[in-house]
Amino acid sequence: MITRRNLLKTIGAGFPMTAFAQMSANPAAPRQPHFAPRAKHVIFLFLNGGPSQVDTFDPKPALQKFHGKPMPTPNLKSERKTGNLLGSPFTFKKYGQSGIEVSEIFPEIGSVIDDFCVIRSMHTERPNHEPSLLLTNCGQRLPGHPSMGSWITYGLGTENQNLPGFVVLCPGLPVLGPILWTSAYLPGLYQGTYVPNNEKEIDKLLPNLRNGRYSAAEQSAQLGLLQKLNRRQMEREGADPQLEAGIQSMEVAFRMQTEAADAFDITREPEKVRASYGDGDFARGCLMAARLVERGVRMVQVYYGDDQPWDSHDDILDHRRLARTADTPIAALIRDLKQRGLLKETIVVVTGEFGRTPATEVSGLVKVQNGRDHNNHGYSSLVAGGGFRGGMTYGATDDFGFQAVENPVDVHDLHATMLHQLGLDHKRLTYRYSGRDFRLTDVHGNLIKAIVET
Amino acid sequence: MNWVLSTALLGSVCLVAAADTPEERFETKVRPILAKNCFACHTASKMGGLALMSRESVLAGGKSGPAVVPGKPEESRLILAVRQGDAVIKAMPMTGKLKPEEIAVLEDWVRDGAVWPASARVQAGTGRITAEQRAFWSFQPVRKGAPPAVANSEWSRQPIDQFIYAKMRERGLQPAPRAARGTWMRRVTFDLIGLPPTPEETDAYLNDKSPQAEAKVVDRLLASPRYGERWARHWLDVARYSDDKLESQKELPHPNAFRYRDWVIAAFNNDMPYSDFVLGQIAADLLPEPQRTRLLPGLAFYGLSPEQQDERVDATTRGFLGLTVACAQCHDHKFDPIPQTDFYALQGVLNSTDIDEVPLAPEAEVAAWKAHKKRLDDKEVELRTFQDEQAMIVAAMLAAQTKDYVAAVTGARPADGLDAETLKRWKDYLDPAKQHDHPFLDHWRDAEKFQATVLALLAEKKDIDQKNLIRLGGPDARGDLSGAELLSLDRAKYRFYNELFGARKSVLYFAGKDLDRWLGALHSQHLAGLRASAEELKKSLPPQYPFLHTVKDSEKPRNAHLLIRGSRDNPGTEVPRRFVSILSPAEPKLYTQGSGRLELARAIASIENPLTPRVMVNRIWQHHFGLGIVRTPSNFGQLGERPTHPELLDYLAARFVESGWSVKAIHREIVLSRTYASAWIRHEANEEKDAANLYLWRANRQRLDVETMRDALLAAGGNLEQTGGGPPLRLNDDKNFRRTVYGYRSRRKLDGTLALFDHPNPNTTNEQRNVTNVPLQRLYFLNNPFVMRQGEALAARLNGPTDEARIRQAYRLLFVRQPDADELRAGLAFLKSEKGAWPRYAQALLASNEFLYVD
Repeated sequence: MITRRNLLKTIGAGFPMTAFAQMSANPAAPRQPHFAPRAKHVIFLFLNGGPSQVDTFDPKPALQKFHGKPMPTPNLKSERKTGNLLGSPFTFKKYGQSGIEVSEIFPEIGSVIDDFCVIRSMHTERPNHEPSLLLTNCGQRLPGHPSMGSWITYGLGTENQNLPGFVVLCPGLPVLGPILWTSAYLPGLYQGTYVPNNEKEIDKLLPNLRNGRYSAAEQSAQLGLLQKLNRRQMEREGADPQLEAGIQSMEVAFRMQTEAADAFDITREPEKVRASYGDGDFARGCLMAARLVERGVRMVQVYYGDDQPWDSHDDILDHRRLARTADTPIAALIRDLKQRGLLKETIVVVTGEFGRTPATEVSGLVKVQNGRDHNNHGYSSLVAGGGFRGGMTYGATDDFGFQAVENPVDVHDLHATMLHQLGLDHKRLTYRYSGRDFRLTDVHGNLIKAIVET
Repeated sequence: MNWVLSTALLGSVCLVAAADTPEERFETKVRPILAKNCFACHTASKMGGLALMSRESVLAGGKSGPAVVPGKPEESRLILAVRQGDAVIKAMPMTGKLKPEEIAVLEDWVRDGAVWPASARVQAGTGRITAEQRAFWSFQPVRKGAPPAVANSEWSRQPIDQFIYAKMRERGLQPAPRAARGTWMRRVTFDLIGLPPTPEETDAYLNDKSPQAEAKVVDRLLASPRYGERWARHWLDVARYSDDKLESQKELPHPNAFRYRDWVIAAFNNDMPYSDFVLGQIAADLLPEPQRTRLLPGLAFYGLSPEQQDERVDATTRGFLGLTVACAQCHDHKFDPIPQTDFYALQGVLNSTDIDEVPLAPEAEVAAWKAHKKRLDDKEVELRTFQDEQAMIVAAMLAAQTKDYVAAVTGARPADGLDAETLKRWKDYLDPAKQHDHPFLDHWRDAEKFQATVLALLAEKKDIDQKNLIRLGGPDARGDLSGAELLSLDRAKYRFYNELFGARKSVLYFAGKDLDRWLGALHSQHLAGLRASAEELKKSLPPQYPFLHTVKDSEKPRNAHLLIRGSRDNPGTEVPRRFVSILSPAEPKLYTQGSGRLELARAIASIENPLTPRVMVNRIWQHHFGLGIVRTPSNFGQLGERPTHPELLDYLAARFVESGWSVKAIHREIVLSRTYASAWIRHEANEEKDAANLYLWRANRQRLDVETMRDALLAAGGNLEQTGGGPPLRLNDDKNFRRTVYGYRSRRKLDGTLALFDHPNPNTTNEQRNVTNVPLQRLYFLNNPFVMRQGEALAARLNGPTDEARIRQAYRLLFVRQPDADELRAGLAFLKSEKGAWPRYAQALLASNEFLYVD
């Protein structure tokens, strides 16, 4: 029986793999991991700006109790001045069999919470967006290192040679922009392919995908001529893997024109599926991510929005508005992936670059505020699928949700654990550049065994 | 025995010394093994929490437990680690397995009680450099040896060929024949000026039968202004040149950055001595005139450097010296003789260096512009402040009429005498269908009470602002100042306050033009006046005067403090400013002139420094052949590659210095060599011995880099504009026909085509470009409008009388050869079968492998 999934697998393979196998080195071809993998893909949902843990996935009764009072424990460094404690304006409720408490602004996520491992003890190095974005994406505080998606495609190659292996969806650009998906010193083919998913037309989603001038037949004839000339050169001068790779790349490019257009076109999804994701750029991004992963794309990163929407310095109630367009798509993605039989092999991460302070922020100008400052000392990340254990919480912050105190997990640990699920040992996934072996986790990273299925 | 060995310099010689007591055995046998294999990671830097510095620290062990259980090797993690057979304990050392006899020494030591005399405690971070380390090849003085004699007339005409040929013979490799003259012509032209040869240039060369034919071509190319445009770009990769700053949220162009790019281009074109090129980029501001003025634009090497100061040390040491000093930021370098103090010695210099600008306009013009700008800024602040004050006065006044408006909303009174717009806002706000996150609207119909609530809120907010101002001691700054005990409105009240008085879309706050009608004549006039003058100041502000991005010594140069494990929260001793130890005499001279930047520059640009000329000639070689003699061009250390031809490298380095640091002299010698003229061929026997062509038995087929590729496309279409210099143009601009080196380089958002074709990210120094070959690049050739336009233009340029003549013309233009019979036939068939097929034919040629690669 030809299931939809199998059909896609066949199309996804698309390019005759034998041709690649003959070539000494197609660097994008699927590669053997270090050990048997639990997962094959990653969908990284980036709630950029720094969602507040105490208003989303880390309820703190003590914070409610001490609302408006100075924090009894010593304050930690954040970016700006903070004042007294600020209780969450949202209520929490137990969801699912696991009974994990989730804020009222994420009821849909609540409904699939049994699929999520809620890590409540994340922490990172700096309370500023830029270094934390870089750490979360590239494992380093300073710019100029390859992104996680680049590392993963470098380590594993990608399954569908007709699509880029690492795709980044963002309406507009997040803070810092493309440096967050750079391949840096890794070969350029591992860089994230940026797709502005607020655009509706395929030409604007992916550059150079359509030829505005020639018909398919005309282009096909042109390709025939071109490849004849390319082969003639090798007949005359001798076979050369470089030139052969060029010929193969051209074949793939030609086919990508149809395959990629199809992959990014969410109108081809049944109405029911589209409706389940809801409206908005982020919803479209999540659905595109499902389609891409289904077609063998290795990693898709979906930014919630342009700039840093979750940066609620001014008024934490803003989180309610933001959650409205994040809650449904995330839950829908989980259900949809399950439906497509992909959740088991796809790691879905939901996180920001850091969390927010439990104390109210009183920043630059002397004015009363109702928001929270950046907090790198403790925050929550959610991970589902790919062999991560659903329906559990891991680690804990202090009574007020400021600092990770129990089983702290830093971004390198999360990276190491994700790589492990993909069959990669983060210490062995190295790239020699300028005489040094670099890796995503630099000199850090511990596998967190407790959060993955054994 | 009563002589005691000094601890740090125990080499292998010491292993043979007899050792009688456990203390002596530790010193003579155990310690050398630990020092050689373990100390790099397990002293100051305590990897895994383990410090092997004293008996106590060994017994305490690391994160996973004690390293040694005295008397019990089988239970000692250190022993299990070096045996490398344990499933859990990490195999050590990471560089490879110890010799069995070394493992036995450690086992015996543990068995005998793990004696570690207190006097032998290891002092971390002393940074002593061993004789063995000093003997490393790249730190040796440059030695110009005589080239080996070669019994082959073709290969004995110049030293480069002699060195290359001798190595080939040594390895049993057969040199490839000379490439066809057309191939050589295309190669050397792309290589030196980054453009294809014109048919006229090619003809001139092909018809020149004199022995100087090649030399004439090379001299013409080296004299072309296009040469600097090509070769400057290689350096701009190292210098991480960009036209903007990596800003978080928006583009922040540096409109004067191009002056550095143009200076580098001119430096190459004028064959500026490389020593001056180095001096200028590091310390032009500290040089005497006339050098200072001439070299000043080079200072943008730092003046445009990324924000992070550690980056400057990295770019300086890797860029000029091929040393990875930044690796010694957290600990002594693990592999090279670079103590941690070296990093901080240099950082002291570069931290004592501030960003500066040198205006290129008369002082009066600069002063006038600055004064004007300040007036504009001040006026805008004044305007904003006045508007906000007035808006709050109006809001307070309206707040005091709350009950009237509320009554009008409920219909309890007519709307007479009330402001229509305000009433409308109240109506919208009080719409019962609207939800609010606070209880203050629960009883708004009680107008009196509601007004009292509103006024009390306003008063409370004012009071809090006042108190906070006092608590903060005036307007504050951002930074690590958290913990200020500040007052805050209750959340619900805050929400309510914002809805009524907030500057964005609230009921009572009137901003901009809406404010005007509330103001009395006098206030109105004043506001109009403020607006007019702000507008006028803005309009009359001329474009900023041109300036150079430079640096200067800070007023009080200061030494840096070593940061233990690189942590800002853990400062260690102060490190005097000085040069890197390995390139200094035993007691390095401390820097005393200002920041020490000039002393640093002179130390780098010194003929005594073996690394500076080696690193640069290697970069030149790399760009000619695709691979350096040292294949890690910015790392000449332990982990870098060893030179394939060390004598040749030294010969070139010596020639470089002798020639007065002339880059063009080195080019000339290289491209006129027989080595450079070899063909690309297949050769089974050679490939078996040297598949990577490290020994240059054939030419390396190289892909055009993105600049050359785009320039060649423009040249093919006859559209290349050859004006040099000036502000950058966007590369996605359809009207940009200039060379790609003049395209905008961004740290924030690198142009799509540049990124697609492996242009490095200019946030860090880059030594070598990747060459990738992916479908997305081919899509560019299939569908990108720019490529299609060049295809059309190329087709239109060909003016031969027949299709065949035009095909021949195209081949000459693009490939510097004639098509063979098959190619001609395929082309003619395509053109005949398809109507209007010429543009598509031309585009296919541009998309071909032959166009993209240079043999």
